[in-house]
Amino acid sequence: MAALISLKRLTKRYGSFTAVDDVSLEVEEGSICGLLGPNGAGKTTTFKCLLGFAKPSGGTIAIEGAPVTPATFESLAYVPERATLYDNLTIAEHLELYRRSYKNYDAARAAELLALFDLDPGKRAKRLSKGMRTAVALTLAFSIRPRVLILDEPSSGLDPVHQRNVLDLMIDAAANGAAVLFSSHQVGQVERAADSVAIMKRGKLIVNSGIDDLKTGEKIIEAVFAGPIPDIGDLAADPRILRAEQVGATLRVATRDDSDDIAQRIFALHPKSIRTIDLNLEEIFMNAVSGDQH
Amino acid sequence: MPAIFTVDPRSGVPLYLQLIEQIKRAVALGTIAPGEQLPTVKALALELTVNPNTVARVYRELEHDGVIDTSPGRGSFVRTDGAGIEARRAVADVARVTFEGAVREAKSLGLSREETQELAARTIARWYETEND
Repeated sequence: MAALISLKRLTKRYGSFTAVDDVSLEVEEGSICGLLGPNGAGKTTTFKCLLGFAKPSGGTIAIEGAPVTPATFESLAYVPERATLYDNLTIAEHLELYRRSYKNYDAARAAELLALFDLDPGKRAKRLSKGMRTAVALTLAFSIRPRVLILDEPSSGLDPVHQRNVLDLMIDAAANGAAVLFSSHQVGQVERAADSVAIMKRGKLIVNSGIDDLKTGEKIIEAVFAGPIPDIGDLAADPRILRAEQVGATLRVATRDDSDDIAQRIFALHPKSIRTIDLNLEEIFMNAVSGDQH
Repeated sequence: MPAIFTVDPRSGVPLYLQLIEQIKRAVALGTIAPGEQLPTVKALALELTVNPNTVARVYRELEHDGVIDTSPGRGSFVRTDGAGIEARRAVADVARVTFEGAVREAKSLGLSREETQELAARTIARWYETEND
């Protein structure tokens, strides 16, 4: 599979502030990558560099295997967090601009998208709510049947039904071979639509993994001891352990890999009980961004 | 396909494993018949709103486990030779793991062997009686 979106060691500094710090990421054909991170983690700056709107301080970027040029945008769609529309133009007029600008513009597809988002083409942009503006931006983006999609919070302001539509549009595009990179604050969306997940924190990429591998690997092992918790010895420094905490007679260990092996080693310390807890993506995300490691 | 599958993205169990288990269960119970065609990867992905690669992985693993046959251009079909047996074995596996987990939990909560046996017997009596009546 070819990587349609590729970032290698991307760094972006503003003065002494490093907004994006040595980030490498690839999204393959037919794949959807969900980018998570707290506000200010560097997600939007990463997108801006990717699109050539900001000049990287270091690293390389390739879209469909080539550097970004005006021609890149023939088959690339970008939906910014706040849709940029012409206030005095109607939705239909925005579509007309797209028809004239993009040779891949698909009028039938655009009509389907308008209906999907319940948009009235005669309405002027200045009279649209935030959610409707997002819907227009999405309609425009998907009307050119792009090969590469970069979506910054693509469901902001949308109601739950239309949020689900956005996920289905991404899924449909990926099933037809597009590469999709999207950021979201809603972990559940990433969990459904994405096959890989990237988590940024303070400019750094702290998780970059297939979603199934991530969920299979990360577990919490909880052991309750009858007396005081024994010394866990060299396990404390084990790189497969993300965190270990003790509350009363309970030892909780967060693992990244090999939870069975680690559980067995804790079992050898003779706890009264031990159990392994599966983590959902939200818990994995919270663990990743709240920890001081990495 | 009459069987409706659901996935729970909030569960810690990866979606592909949830789907594999549900499809095997449906085959074992006969909800999906031998020879029946499964939806395309894209159709099932859109129906469930899950990633297409997740569905593709489910189909690959089901083919590997002998439950379905996929031929390029024609689609994926439940095998007519032994898919039910494979699926029944897989479902029995799920039952075994669930039962084992329950017993392990009972033990770790401090129940004695006799208490756990008693509990198991009572639970079996309750569920199997109503089914056989």
